Amino acid sequence: MDLILDTVTFGGKILRCLLESLIYKIISKKKKNVAGEIVLITGAASGLGRLMAIKFASLGAILVLWDINEEGNIETCRLAKEKRDVKAFAYKCDCTNRQEIYRVADQVKKEVGDVTILINNAGVVTGKMFLDIPDDMVERTFLLNVLSHFWTCKAFLPSMIKANHGHLVCISSAAGLVGVSGLSDYCASKFAALGFAESLFLELNLVKKTKIKTTIICPYFLKTGMFEGCTTKYPLLLPLLDPEDVAQTILNAILEEQLYVIIPKMITFTLFLKQILSTEMTIALAEYLGVHTCMASFKGRNTADEVQTETEREHL
Amino acid sequence: MAPDLNSTKDLFVFLGKSVFSVLEDMVFTLIPKPQKNVAGEIVLITGAGSGLGRLLALKFASLGSVLVLWDINKEGTEETCEMARAAGATRVYAYTCDCSQREEVYRVADEVKREVGDISILINNAGIVTGKNFLDCPDELIEKSFDVNFKAHLWTYKAFLPAMIANDHGHLVCISSSAGLTGVNGLADYCASKFAAFGFAEAVFAETVAQKQMGIKTTIVCPLLINTGMFEGCTTKFPSLLPVLEPEYAVRKIVDAILQEKVYLYIPRVLYFLVFLKRLPWRRLTMPIAPRPMPLQANQAGNPAGLGSKWRPTWGTKEGSPKNDGGVSVVRNLEAV
Repeated sequence: MDLILDTVTFGGKILRCLLESLIYKIISKKKKNVAGEIVLITGAASGLGRLMAIKFASLGAILVLWDINEEGNIETCRLAKEKRDVKAFAYKCDCTNRQEIYRVADQVKKEVGDVTILINNAGVVTGKMFLDIPDDMVERTFLLNVLSHFWTCKAFLPSMIKANHGHLVCISSAAGLVGVSGLSDYCASKFAALGFAESLFLELNLVKKTKIKTTIICPYFLKTGMFEGCTTKYPLLLPLLDPEDVAQTILNAILEEQLYVIIPKMITFTLFLKQILSTEMTIALAEYLGVHTCMASFKGRNTADEVQTETEREHL
Repeated sequence: MAPDLNSTKDLFVFLGKSVFSVLEDMVFTLIPKPQKNVAGEIVLITGAGSGLGRLLALKFASLGSVLVLWDINKEGTEETCEMARAAGATRVYAYTCDCSQREEVYRVADEVKREVGDISILINNAGIVTGKNFLDCPDELIEKSFDVNFKAHLWTYKAFLPAMIANDHGHLVCISSSAGLTGVNGLADYCASKFAAFGFAEAVFAETVAQKQMGIKTTIVCPLLINTGMFEGCTTKFPSLLPVLEPEYAVRKIVDAILQEKVYLYIPRVLYFLVFLKRLPWRRLTMPIAPRPMPLQANQAGNPAGLGSKWRPTWGTKEGSPKNDGGVSVVRNLEAV
């Protein structure tokens, strides 16, 4: 009897969600106003971080920019202020270091105020086959791409909960939805970032019932230099993305308070196929789409021989 | 012209493989899939001191494999050793190893290679859970979760995969969790670590496929809750749809999957459907409506006594382990779920 009742309730909820999705496809959701909100972006010195900073500036938000690359960060500050005269604060922060994150977070709270939109964007990629990646690079990828999310959330979430107002944005990746050859450590870190953001969303919304929003972004490869050298076999099906377009899509998603954003939509379809097809067919599909070879000519921001340093602050 | 011809060729190859795969599936629904013989294979199981790890060890013992058992808990591993010998294993080797420490993993791995030989089946099973809400979970425990549940997999792969590749023979088994497929309230760090383990295992699987290393197999296991004591206190909202699994059932399914060289195993089967719902292209928000296991109400008063009879503390003896500090939940080194 319980089972029947629960199943009917469950079925009803699914139906409601389906109807909601249909309605929102026809009329677009209202975008929230972020003027005056304090937006913190990690990895703001280049690529996607910089583009998002500029876009938020144009909407009148107060910017707090973090990056290990001081020069690039200050440049982003300047570009943002050029777009619109908003308050922008640049901080140098090595997000692989927990204590530094907490220290700089305290500084931000004193000098700027409580962060209301937290965008965990900083990321690094090695792009080698797993056995060729030195252990410390693997550790570093993990520290920056995932653990930094834990520490920034720890630093800024309490004040969001107190004010019952906030937005957590996790820049994960399409490589956080499916394992890709040549990206073992990166995939693991992006999977973890996604899992963390999802769990936190459930904790905040289902259990504590706060008004804190979550957005998880999973883009394919962006043409920002981070994945320089990567190829795509069928640009019509899986194009290398234009960073400007992606930044705009992400911004819209945040303003509409969407939960998941997968760019391009084709990936959603391939993931769906992966779920229904057998493993052999999925492998055949991956081969067909050239997923196994896309990292073969990866160069990244520096040459393959140089150690990836501070300029990797961007996202896939 | 040439790119068009290549694309057409690729399309035909893809379609051909798809048809073959469908036929293969149809055949295997009628006749059971063949199971490989693992007698004589060297199987390494982390977290073999209790729970799922121990049961897996006993099952492989009955199949005639050589067992290499790792656990941080020396007593537990030795007990498993005894039980495995009683179950018919002729060669069982027990090692004490803290899988969260990279250098220790490498050191013990070298010992294993010297004393036993090349591992052919690697089962990354060791796992811990803290079960605390995110903001209440101490940073050190978050890091420990990752170190045991995920980073250990990195180091064991690094230690044992090269030999598997050289021999073109090996099987990598990752015990992830349903919490590695979808977020769960109250398990932020655990989820993240299990997601990472899943993603890593899948990515390395993709690498073995890309490099045409046909002898290297992968199996990724995502069970819901298994009744071993690790998640004592947890309930699921719909026990008939999402049951807490009996350990014997779980072990049987896992070993069958390994012997059939299945790549993904989600137990109970309804998980396939839930993940399918999650992946629907046009769904906007199915997350909150899927039934969720209710979280472990751990550490209400810092008292671990109510956490089930099978709970065994393994912290407090090693240098540098997180101390039991008033409101801190003692981390239980138990097998993964």
